[in-house]
Amino acid sequence: MTQAKKILASGITEAEAIDRAKGGDAEAFEMLYGLHKRRVYSLCLRMTGNTAEAEDLTQEAFLQLYRKIATFRGESAFSTWLHRLAVNVVLMHLRKKGLPEISLDEALEPAQEDGPKKDIGARDNVLAGSIDRVNLERAIESLPPGYRIIFVLHDIEGYEHNEIAEMMGCSIGNSKSQLHKARMKLRDLLKVSRAEKAAKR
Amino acid sequence: MTCAEFQRVLPYIIDAGGDAGQEQHLRECAVCADLVADLRYIADQAKLLVPMEDPSPRVWEGLQKSLEREGLVKSAPARRSLLGLPLRDLGWVAAGAAVVVLLAGIFFTRNTTSADQPKTTVAMESPATGPANAEDQQILDTVAQLSPDVRDSYRQGLRDVNTYIQDAERSVKEDPNDQGARQLLMQAYQQKAMLYQMATRSGE
Repeated sequence: MTQAKKILASGITEAEAIDRAKGGDAEAFEMLYGLHKRRVYSLCLRMTGNTAEAEDLTQEAFLQLYRKIATFRGESAFSTWLHRLAVNVVLMHLRKKGLPEISLDEALEPAQEDGPKKDIGARDNVLAGSIDRVNLERAIESLPPGYRIIFVLHDIEGYEHNEIAEMMGCSIGNSKSQLHKARMKLRDLLKVSRAEKAAKR
Repeated sequence: MTCAEFQRVLPYIIDAGGDAGQEQHLRECAVCADLVADLRYIADQAKLLVPMEDPSPRVWEGLQKSLEREGLVKSAPARRSLLGLPLRDLGWVAAGAAVVVLLAGIFFTRNTTSADQPKTTVAMESPATGPANAEDQQILDTVAQLSPDVRDSYRQGLRDVNTYIQDAERSVKEDPNDQGARQLLMQAYQQKAMLYQMATRSGE
């Protein structure tokens, strides 16, 4: 559900909770955690594909938040600030693990499987109207890590390619290329899933 | 322009649009047009994915310990029950759990298959799905006296969680033995139960 950002159950606004948290108020910390934990955790889970890692990274993101909260001046929305912090925590973690590098060569010389799609009669097989969120979430989980990260950042979290390029240390062209490959892979996965369900009937 | 040429530049033009030649190919080629439609549809659906899972309580427990260890907190947290929740919330947890058990029991009873029973299609809808039902309306009435922003948040929240329940129920109906789908459905019911809890507390 969409979090009630303005008014919390106890009647304190988010802005007041932030001010109190800057002063070390434990209940204010807890309120901010309650408001934002779901979105931060979902981001971490979608980017890593691993529950235990996502929980550790959620904890780390909030810990960094509380260490830095005194520096929050309100130039951007608090959720935006926290979100960017969480993304950086996940990316740093993935880099330490050996994040798959985005190759410049991939953008210049597409692999064989990226040849033109010539599905004769494909008009009957368009996806529009046939995807439900459960299948889409599963398909995203199945993506290779590099594709999944770009797809999550751009199509789910709404970052622009120039922002992703800066975060990932790649070019804007590479970001677009990887996003395209992610979407193409999802298209294949979703069509297979749809065909399997049709065969069961 | 050939399909190969068009699809080679597609990653760089799909979001912002192409030049005249590329747009013409898109108008004239059904295959490329369907490909673009599919990719845009996937991107549009992704935007609608809402965060639906909470981290386990151990995340907050670990965070609390770190905050205290680093001296970032200056007051003791609220007294907690054995469940790790503030004691004042315990009654609402019980109410929320009852709602979850009721909704889950109704749906899973209607959609359980076994080796001894022929598969049947259940036509009835769970009371949790569809447009705002009587329980949803009661919650909306409860928050009616709150500010417009908060009312809208609850209304949107109910719409989102009901849609998620519908999707998950459809998956379970298609394959009642799919444990993953059943787990997702349970989570969706839990989200709705939490929404009811918050609304009831806010309306007091």
